Amino acid sequence: MDIQNHHIVKSYDAELQRLMSEIADMGDVALTQVEHSLLALEGRDATLARQVIDGDDAIDTREREVSHEVLRLLALRQPSARDLREVMAALRIASDIERIADHAVGVARLSLAMPAGEGGFPENLHALGLLTCDIVHEVLRAWRATDAALAHAVWQRDDDLDRTHAVLFHDLLARMRQTPDDAAWCTHLMFVAKNLERIGDHATNIAENVWFVVEGESGLS
Amino acid sequence: MIDSLPSAIDLPPWLQAVAARAGERVLPKLAVRGLDFHYGDAHALKRIDLDIPEKQVTAIIGPSGCGKSTLLRVFNRIYAIYQGLRAEGEVLLDGENILDARYSLNRLRGQVGMVFQKPVPFPMTIFENVAWGIRHHEKLSKAGMSGRVEQALRRAALWDEVKDKLKRSALSLSGGQQQRLCIARAIALAPEVLLLDEPTSALDPIATAKIEQLIEELKGDYTLVIVTHNMQQAARVSDRTAFMYLGEMVECDATEKIFTSPAKKQTEDYITGRFG
Amino acid sequence: MESAIYLRRRAANGLALGLSVCATVLGLLFLAWILWVTLQQGIGAIDWKLFTKITAYGAEGGLANAIVGSLVMDVMALAICAPIGVAAGTFLAEYANRTKLGATIRFLNDILLSAPSIVLGLFVYVIVVLPMSKLTGGAVSFSGFAGAVALALIGLPVIVRTTDEMLQLVPGTLREAALSLGVPQWKLTVQVLMRAATSGIVTGVLLALARLAGETAPLLFTAFGNNFMTAHPFDKMESLPVAIYQYTNDPNPALHAIAWAGALLITLFVLGLSLATRLFLRRHRSPND
Repeated sequence: MDIQNHHIVKSYDAELQRLMSEIADMGDVALTQVEHSLLALEGRDATLARQVIDGDDAIDTREREVSHEVLRLLALRQPSARDLREVMAALRIASDIERIADHAVGVARLSLAMPAGEGGFPENLHALGLLTCDIVHEVLRAWRATDAALAHAVWQRDDDLDRTHAVLFHDLLARMRQTPDDAAWCTHLMFVAKNLERIGDHATNIAENVWFVVEGESGLS
Repeated sequence: MIDSLPSAIDLPPWLQAVAARAGERVLPKLAVRGLDFHYGDAHALKRIDLDIPEKQVTAIIGPSGCGKSTLLRVFNRIYAIYQGLRAEGEVLLDGENILDARYSLNRLRGQVGMVFQKPVPFPMTIFENVAWGIRHHEKLSKAGMSGRVEQALRRAALWDEVKDKLKRSALSLSGGQQQRLCIARAIALAPEVLLLDEPTSALDPIATAKIEQLIEELKGDYTLVIVTHNMQQAARVSDRTAFMYLGEMVECDATEKIFTSPAKKQTEDYITGRFG
Repeated sequence: MESAIYLRRRAANGLALGLSVCATVLGLLFLAWILWVTLQQGIGAIDWKLFTKITAYGAEGGLANAIVGSLVMDVMALAICAPIGVAAGTFLAEYANRTKLGATIRFLNDILLSAPSIVLGLFVYVIVVLPMSKLTGGAVSFSGFAGAVALALIGLPVIVRTTDEMLQLVPGTLREAALSLGVPQWKLTVQVLMRAATSGIVTGVLLALARLAGETAPLLFTAFGNNFMTAHPFDKMESLPVAIYQYTNDPNPALHAIAWAGALLITLFVLGLSLATRLFLRRHRSPND
């Protein structure tokens, strides 16, 4: 049979394509926010931290734009099947990305408020940061390529992230017991870790939505 | 499935009832089995299998020429009025093959009503349009006939609009009213199955909405099969949707499933507007 | 460049329009001319005498017997050809449509439609007049009945054809809708299709009547003509066309005037029929269109 991968109405294709890349771009911006917030934290760079905090408005605006675009597509194109799933996923992923950016702001705020601590920056917090950024990066790649297998792989890596987070949490608790003066510093780092862990959860949601687009069923296992 | 159940004698009465109900659900109202249809040399339907459950709306969609109308027209054997058309295979109505020449056309058409694409009122009064068909199947008293006509017109949500002008020509009604009159005419015979062949393609959106509302009301009492070009309409009114292409049944499933995540790529391409 | 094309198109359009207007005017001119001459020549001879006196009085008489004869034969002819024609047309459209038999019958009907009316007159002379003469054992039995049979043969193909065509114009979905109610074919035909095609069929019958009312040739060998008043179907019978034919062959100018008056009567009759048809059609707007 005569199948083509394009819609008969070409502008519909263009609109869907624009929505997809809009989401991916928004994700890139959020990822940069996360990376910058971590750099600001590790380098105690207040300027960079404020830059991250100020940059959040732009992401909120983009999310509103995506919502509007989704509303328009639903009303005017009445998408169905895979198109419908793409549009639904776009809406949900935009919200996840917005939350990821919020957590980056959270990390930036913590870095500003954090007192100076004895001892070096914990190695496994650095690792947790790298892992989080990598997961977000990979899940965005899965979205761009609508690659269900990649999304599934990212989804599985959330376990690594949770494990790293648990270990870090344990280390920080031990450190607080050893040097009670570092308690405030350690508590701030714990909140940072919590933010990173939440970012990982949102990345998992995104992975689930990529899976939903391709396979038509929600929920990965 | 039924065969594997223990025989009814061994079951306690309450369980027998449950088993009977399970049996009802398993048997579709209309079951198409290996149906082939030919227009002269053209092979219009190719080994179609389809179950149409009772008291639900089944929509048949597909591009022009896919055979969806042909399939509908097999269900009441209306195709038989033309020469050179033949159907092979089985179409079981409550388990009986209606394609069997011994199955009386009179009986079949009393059981399976049909509404067409264009409203086709007969050149008679509104009352006579409904009464005419009934008169062929039953002998009713004058009062009995009035009652039946009123009942059918009420059921078709037309009574309030026409009760004061039953003696007027049916041709004086608007297109939407004419189509509801055609539905009244069909359900006046108390059919079990109602076939709708693109019933709203000649109507404006308001008249269309009224017909769709009517379809929803009717499905409690009748088994409805609707052929439509309008996919959104299929999505709005039907419980199950069947997608046909080039005379083949590609996929039939719950409407929700078809419109959110169909199993076949052909179906997906058609409903998302990707067909070449 | 573009305007040159546009100008050329306008010129071509103007030419085509001009030619078709000329053709229409030419046609209408002759029609109006004929009507005018008939009216002018005939109106003077229309008086009471025309309707009360018979042709036996010649120039002193009128056309009473011819009018009565024409009416009797036309009504009889219609009574013969209308039922047969409508039934045959129905058969063609509903039972023999798209069959070899149907195509053959349509072809033969078209031949009958264009057959010279004098031939039909001779045919009826052979199959009605001569056998009846043998039966009565007397002289040649010309009769109004034979005339009516000849006229019926003129009207028949017209009615068959219009009935056939009008029924075929009824949308197929109406048939399907009726049959899908389980109603048998004959009920569908009589109670739905005939009703839907009524206006067309009536038009066909009236057209046939208009056509046979003006026929002379088939009556010459069948009804023959009669200078005396009669309404008896087995008498020789006078008719307007035959009276006109005879009077115009006479050297007496007074008879010419009466012939003109007769011609005017036929013209008015046909005109009246056309108007009646129009009126009927307007009242029964054809359904389903």
